[in-house]
Amino acid sequence: MLRSEELTKAFGAKTAVDHVNLRLEAGHICAMLGPNGSGKTTWMKMAAGLCKPTSGTVYFEGEPVGVNSRASIAYMSTEPYFYTWMTLKDVGRYYGDFFADYSAERYRELLDRFELEEGLKTKTLSSGMMAKAKIAVTLARDAKVWMLDEPFNGIDLVARDRIKEAIISAAAPDKLLLMSSHLVEEMESIADRAVFLRKGKLIKEVDIDTERAETGCSIADEYRRIYGGQEEEDA
Amino acid sequence: MKNLIKYEFRKTWNTKMIILGIAAFAEVAFLVSLYLNLEEINGLSIFALTMLAFGGVMFIGIQSVLTMHQDMNTRQGYMLYMTPNSCFKILGGKVLENGLSIFAAGAFFFALGALDVTLLVAHLGQLQELINVVNSFAKQLSMELPLNAEFFGLLALNFLCTWLNVVNTAYLADVVATCLLSGKKHNGWIGLLLFLVISGAMSALQQAITKGMAWQPMLIWDAVIALACAAVMYAATAFLMDRHLSV
Repeated sequence: MLRSEELTKAFGAKTAVDHVNLRLEAGHICAMLGPNGSGKTTWMKMAAGLCKPTSGTVYFEGEPVGVNSRASIAYMSTEPYFYTWMTLKDVGRYYGDFFADYSAERYRELLDRFELEEGLKTKTLSSGMMAKAKIAVTLARDAKVWMLDEPFNGIDLVARDRIKEAIISAAAPDKLLLMSSHLVEEMESIADRAVFLRKGKLIKEVDIDTERAETGCSIADEYRRIYGGQEEEDA
Repeated sequence: MKNLIKYEFRKTWNTKMIILGIAAFAEVAFLVSLYLNLEEINGLSIFALTMLAFGGVMFIGIQSVLTMHQDMNTRQGYMLYMTPNSCFKILGGKVLENGLSIFAAGAFFFALGALDVTLLVAHLGQLQELINVVNSFAKQLSMELPLNAEFFGLLALNFLCTWLNVVNTAYLADVVATCLLSGKKHNGWIGLLLFLVISGAMSALQQAITKGMAWQPMLIWDAVIALACAAVMYAATAFLMDRHLSV
């Protein structure tokens, strides 16, 4: 469904994503894992068509990503990106104006679930409220691919559970959910696949249940094994 | 396209409302001072309205460039560039909204000016005297100006088309600085230099084509060349965005 071939993005001398070959299929909730600077956000932005690769290509259903794929791929950035003059109602209207797969009803239902009022101005939202609002409007789209960058950032435990419920309820055999997070344990409870990136390179792809059955290791253990050395190296 | 234009307008409508509010205030001051024969306030309000007409139209263009810059350099740009619209369409929405706003503001201030001049003349009865003063000033500058509504209308149209072209050139310079020179030292200054060079070249082209023409055809040709240049700037900017823009 979504694949990158030799995908590379360099910012001056720094290579954020380095020749990544990755194939993600529908019917999965996939965790993209790695410490800061591992290239998760840059990879997602290129797949969302927001960022141009230095070389390589991302394909969605066999076609390079671009204007058409944006109609089917819903991307949620980790940073707040709503226009500051908007209320949450305006945000919903905006999505309704531009995305054919958007459901106003689903948006209202998610806002209710997250205890957010439509009349709230985006510039007055706390970081937790903003995170919930971004999730709500992104999942209100009936997209084929959802890419959620750090969806649990700045969110309390109770809200996190509600978000997990919302994410799981969006999953379907013909959909792909890709999420990045530092909260590895949280991801392990909802994802069935994991992709590990390190310094822009793809290190490993695993089927979480198979990994657990074969090695007895959790994803958190695998994360520590892969990145523990790097942290010491970085220190 | 309709939605793109709608949201471009929405991003800048606060400023437009402020310009309208100031214009309304100055107009009321003009009418009251005219009615009460308060010459000083009348003169001040005419000055304020004249400045606002030029300043307002220019600010609408400047704000459009600033909004474009913000859309390319802040996270808010995700809202725009994650929609299933090509860069040609997105930029087209910006150019059309800005063009419509500039021309609407121009038409508004032109109509307001015509109304105020009519009221002033009706009140003072000194139109011929006013024209004579301007004519004698123009003759001193060796200019033969046909001071009639057609002339002022063409002058206003020329100003608006030229300004639209300036704004489109600024879009191009900003896109070059942001996309092609991203992360490079002094990219903003290089963008500014590019803007000045292109503006200078277009001005030279206008002068070369309209050299020796009488005022009226010159104003028309200047406006046509400005619009043609604006179209070229749009196409070049959208092409660069399509190939190189990362937000």
